[in-house]
Amino acid sequence: MEITDIYVNLPVKDVQKAREFWTKLGFSINEQFSDEKAICVVMKENHIYTMFLHEDFFKTFTDRPVADGKTTQTLLAIGVNSRDEVDAMVKTATENGGSEYSKPRDHGWMYQWAFADPDGHQWEVMHGDVSQIPSE
Amino acid sequence: MKINQIYVNLPVKDIPKTKEFWTNLGFPVNENISDEKAVCFILGENICVMFITEEYFMTFSERPLPNGDTTQVLVALGVDSREEVDKIVNAAVANGATQHEEPQDYGWMYQNSFWDINGHGWNVTFADMSQMPIE
Repeated sequence: MEITDIYVNLPVKDVQKAREFWTKLGFSINEQFSDEKAICVVMKENHIYTMFLHEDFFKTFTDRPVADGKTTQTLLAIGVNSRDEVDAMVKTATENGGSEYSKPRDHGWMYQWAFADPDGHQWEVMHGDVSQIPSE
Repeated sequence: MKINQIYVNLPVKDIPKTKEFWTNLGFPVNENISDEKAVCFILGENICVMFITEEYFMTFSERPLPNGDTTQVLVALGVDSREEVDKIVNAAVANGATQHEEPQDYGWMYQNSFWDINGHGWNVTFADMSQMPIE
């Protein structure tokens, strides 16, 4: 079994603020799938998307209450093309209402840094060079 | 900005049970980055999900784990046909998942959903974009 694309759906308090934040980080919005209740951020064209849905709209898709932001159900690790892109994204995030929740980690073949977005969703940004993975 | 891959990380109570469940759904394991604390499933090209024991997961976040009575994330997976949508959801339910909503048919898009054995919510969709209604 193989999927063709993924949509990660996350609740937000303010769709317009989420739009501004993710646009500042340099991502484009798929306007066809966006309105006042939700935005669709294109993370990789035709392949990887994140939908940020207003909490009231998100609630209609689950019979459990929306998490209050004090717990963590998911950590989203996203790969970018260089260490510089890792740093740039985390810095832009923290300058625009995000927060840094861990220090940069350098594993040699992989470099990683993380931020929480303004709604508290946690993103692990990484650049890995798989050719450099140490063999056991 | 564009990313080149995504790993959705989710906490689970039991790695062997989780491994069995997702294997029964038809997805391959990336054994290179799986061990007794975490199992990595390759869902598609550059799309992976890591199921991590709760104890290990907690080392990555300063916030506690939810106790399963709230939702922070719903993951929607796109597949190639309506038959694949039903095949995944039926296999999930046959292996201990619970059906979430009844299948929804929008003509151009077909959708079914389940809660997995760890309580994470999944939507499975098939969309024929050429048939998407224009407003």
